[in-house]
Amino acid sequence: MVTTTLSLSSVPISSLDKRIQSLENEQSSLGTQEYFVNMGPQHPSTHGVLRLVLHLDGETVKEVIPVLGYVHRGMEKKCEFIGYRQQVHLTDRLDYLCALMNNWAISHAIEKALNIELNERIQVVRTILAELQRIQSHQLWWGVFGMDLGAFTPFLYGFRDREKITAIFEDTIGARLTMNFIQPGGLMFDITSDFAQKVKEFIAYFKPILNEYDELFSGNIIVQERLRNVGILDAKTAISIGTTGPILRASGVAHDLRKLEPYGVYSQVQFDVPVGATGDCWDRYQVRMQEMRESIKIVEQLIDNIPEGKHMVMKFGAKIRVPEGVYYSEMETARGIYGNFIVADGSEKPYRLHMRTPNFNNLWSIIRMAPGLRIADLVTILSSIDIVVPDIDR
Amino acid sequence: MGITMNQLLPKSLEAIPGGPALLTSLDSLINWARSNSLWPLTFGTSCCAIEVMMAAGASHHDLARFGAEVARPSPRQADLLVVAGTIVKRMAPRLKVLYEQMAEPKYVIATGACAISGGPFIYESYATVRGVHEVIPVDVYVPGCPPRPEAFFYGLLALQRLIREGETIRKPGERKKPVLAALPPGITLEQIRSELIANLENKAVVNRYE
Repeated sequence: MVTTTLSLSSVPISSLDKRIQSLENEQSSLGTQEYFVNMGPQHPSTHGVLRLVLHLDGETVKEVIPVLGYVHRGMEKKCEFIGYRQQVHLTDRLDYLCALMNNWAISHAIEKALNIELNERIQVVRTILAELQRIQSHQLWWGVFGMDLGAFTPFLYGFRDREKITAIFEDTIGARLTMNFIQPGGLMFDITSDFAQKVKEFIAYFKPILNEYDELFSGNIIVQERLRNVGILDAKTAISIGTTGPILRASGVAHDLRKLEPYGVYSQVQFDVPVGATGDCWDRYQVRMQEMRESIKIVEQLIDNIPEGKHMVMKFGAKIRVPEGVYYSEMETARGIYGNFIVADGSEKPYRLHMRTPNFNNLWSIIRMAPGLRIADLVTILSSIDIVVPDIDR
Repeated sequence: MGITMNQLLPKSLEAIPGGPALLTSLDSLINWARSNSLWPLTFGTSCCAIEVMMAAGASHHDLARFGAEVARPSPRQADLLVVAGTIVKRMAPRLKVLYEQMAEPKYVIATGACAISGGPFIYESYATVRGVHEVIPVDVYVPGCPPRPEAFFYGLLALQRLIREGETIRKPGERKKPVLAALPPGITLEQIRSELIANLENKAVVNRYE
């Protein structure tokens, strides 16, 4: 750390200067101090109840120590008591901004274990809903990102457009945030007849809005100065920490399960995987903005011809029995890979269910990115990771 | 006015001419001002924070219509604690500290099933607190998982009404009012109120909310 010293030799000495000079002689230098500061668990920039212990030198961050557990609800243990049928709704409350994708992931794991073949309609509707949710999640991130950088306007713009998707979900699903819609064996109920029409209206509305976002925020010189070359995460470190999703892709690794191990109908649609170059905050920002455009592309390809069919190929009763064995399935949510590791003992309850949540791994990239930066940049980095704390603590 | 309050109230209040009518008017003025300038603390633990704090405060629903949009990150500047989300045993002491750091008068709204009773985590969870009322006193409960922003507004309006009426369910009948706070021991609010009602019944001053 560079220490600051007051140099007074060139200034004519007044009485005030004399006092400062005597202070300077006493301390020999007005340097900085090392100390620890708690950021959280209640802090507006930690997006929940995350606690970061900051080791500071002046205003420069030397070390970040995340302390977890402030919203640990014992979800994995609870799953061992309530069985496969009921644990679907718990995944809503993990990463609540990707509720449908989490529903899909755990349903996919159970369907894989039971060898259930889904019809085309279910797959297409699930894919459309997941992509809409990805747009919705990124809209919220964009708004909150702006707010963390000190601009309140993006927050209002982001939520203005997010409400439109929320309204579609509410019409179709009946819930705004915690859906519990995608079930093992299909969907909770069929989509409404005007679903396609509403989605088309939204896309026609939102496409030009994305350019407005760019004009309003991305092109701003202050935003660019605050994001470029801040919080650089190189590809090797990103892989070794286990980050996934937009963070890994911003570091230059084109890892997207929708391309690598296609599920749903992702193998039938054309879309690109946006990849960053340097892995700084600006790349993470751009990757998410591009992902919204790609999601629109996917929805546009699917929305015109949703095939006919049943909305549920297999109707389960209150209990689902999964044959003995070990099952793992993973999916690409808006924040990265969400995986379910199920150890089944043949009963209606899992012997063990481990949730590999994306935010847990993504969070730890901060301990590599933050050292050497200022506290204001730490907030930028934390927001560019886009964490959801209940997903970390589970 | 034939009221015996002059002997009961402290000396500083004796100078107010006419006594009770002015006091009630002052009360209602202060409570009206308080009810329309609630400053919530930005405190969200999980899902409810998105709906109750963010979506409600953003452009579509616009919490500013109710005068409660000035969200403060510091408990010392806030007077409304909206518990939005699950409180687990590790967080409970911090929640209590936050509540104690807030300056009086302070109000609490518990939103969502988790904050009311533990919600989906009421059974088979070793970590969650079964409702925030186990930690701090609660004024208004807003059910839902999570509640819609409109439901939160309804809860907020209910709280505003409670404030305007000068008491909350937290301390039924003995909510501290600004002027009545200095009552000598032995005099209850109920006693004074019954006197007021008996004296002012014919003058159509009471029951202004009905």
